[in-house]
Amino acid sequence: MNTPSDHDAMLDLIAVAALGSLPERDLRLVTMHLATCPDCRAEYDALRPVADAIGLSAEEPVDTLRSARMKKRLMASIAPPGSAQRSPGSAARSAAPGGLMWASSLVAAAAVIFALVSTVQDIRLRSDLANAQRQTSQLQTRVAESQQTSENARTMVADLFAANAKRYPVAGGDVVARGNRVYFALRTLPPLPKGKVYQAWTLAKGAKTVAPSVTFTPNASGFAVVQLPVSATSLAAVALTVEPEGGSKTPTSKPSFVQPLS
Amino acid sequence: MGREARGIMDDGARLMERVRARDGAAFERLYDSYHRLVFGVALRMLGDATMAEDLTQTVFMKVWSAPDSFRDGNFARVARNRSLDMLRSRSLRDGEIPADLAEPGALDDAVFARLDSQRVRSALAALPDEQRAPIELGFFGGITHEEIAKRTGIPLGTIKTRIRTGLRRLRVELEGAVSR
Repeated sequence: MNTPSDHDAMLDLIAVAALGSLPERDLRLVTMHLATCPDCRAEYDALRPVADAIGLSAEEPVDTLRSARMKKRLMASIAPPGSAQRSPGSAARSAAPGGLMWASSLVAAAAVIFALVSTVQDIRLRSDLANAQRQTSQLQTRVAESQQTSENARTMVADLFAANAKRYPVAGGDVVARGNRVYFALRTLPPLPKGKVYQAWTLAKGAKTVAPSVTFTPNASGFAVVQLPVSATSLAAVALTVEPEGGSKTPTSKPSFVQPLS
Repeated sequence: MGREARGIMDDGARLMERVRARDGAAFERLYDSYHRLVFGVALRMLGDATMAEDLTQTVFMKVWSAPDSFRDGNFARVARNRSLDMLRSRSLRDGEIPADLAEPGALDDAVFARLDSQRVRSALAALPDEQRAPIELGFFGGITHEEIAKRTGIPLGTIKTRIRTGLRRLRVELEGAVSR
């Protein structure tokens, strides 16, 4: 992003990122640029709250019945178990006048029928409720899975931006370490020959040989951000080589870089 | 929602603090203040009142069960992200759009308190259609700028520029409220 027109194009992408409509691959590019360009960072910081405010335009009154039902459902779901009690059943009469015994029997029979009907309805309601709970549970599981993916992306972005992250300049970009996470944030990787991939290597503290790590292919601009699936605190160094597709067990080419982690 | 009602939200951060301390009354107040916003965003994005209701329930359940994950208290963005999650989980959208970029720069509680829905609607209405449409499609449609270009038949570069111009103009319209 050196020329004014490149920078203008980046500002367009930054606006789309602030809106939340940038695809993942472009978002990584913007993320990397924001980390190194204060002007663009300021533009993003200016536009992001504007985009957030757009949500307010959708706020609308919820009809009273729906609102009450939603609130009741919510408050019931956060209530401690056992806080709701069934009202006790009505007590039987202890005595009835003899002449009215038939009438009492009739009332008792009606009560039994009513109880049976209520029980059937109760069973149906319980069945419906169980189905609804099962569907809700399945939905929550799917939402949780999606949230986890989003959380991972957020963690990565936060790590790459963090002021306390350690950045090690290497050929084509940086190795970034924060906490126990380590990333290759590479911006200008040379294109790969056909049938080849980039492969990361890790050297554990005290180890004498490197261990194979992830393989990856950068995008057409030579851009790639990769998290290594090992704890950064256990590593003495990392390296990058070009390997055949599928990766290698030991490096077969001269490393693009070897970077000690202090 | 008017400015007076929005005043309830001025202490959203303090309510969240009380929710973290398991204060049910604070949770109820938080719900009263924000459920219309969460429901409204979800309804606009999902297009289904029952799904919007479920999502509202899920968001507030999460507020209660994991309040630390709602530090910024930005319910509009949370509602949008959760709606995107729901659309993806139901295969109604591809998974290309990440839910969020980064928390810095997000609308904070104090800024939120200075805004109301009517003001934002007016500001949006003041935009030319060619700028408002891609912005609303991007935010509420939950689709990428590339998809917007494809759907509208407008070149991708034009869409990006219109989004940028529109957001900048919106910022001017909301000046004083969204300035930090």
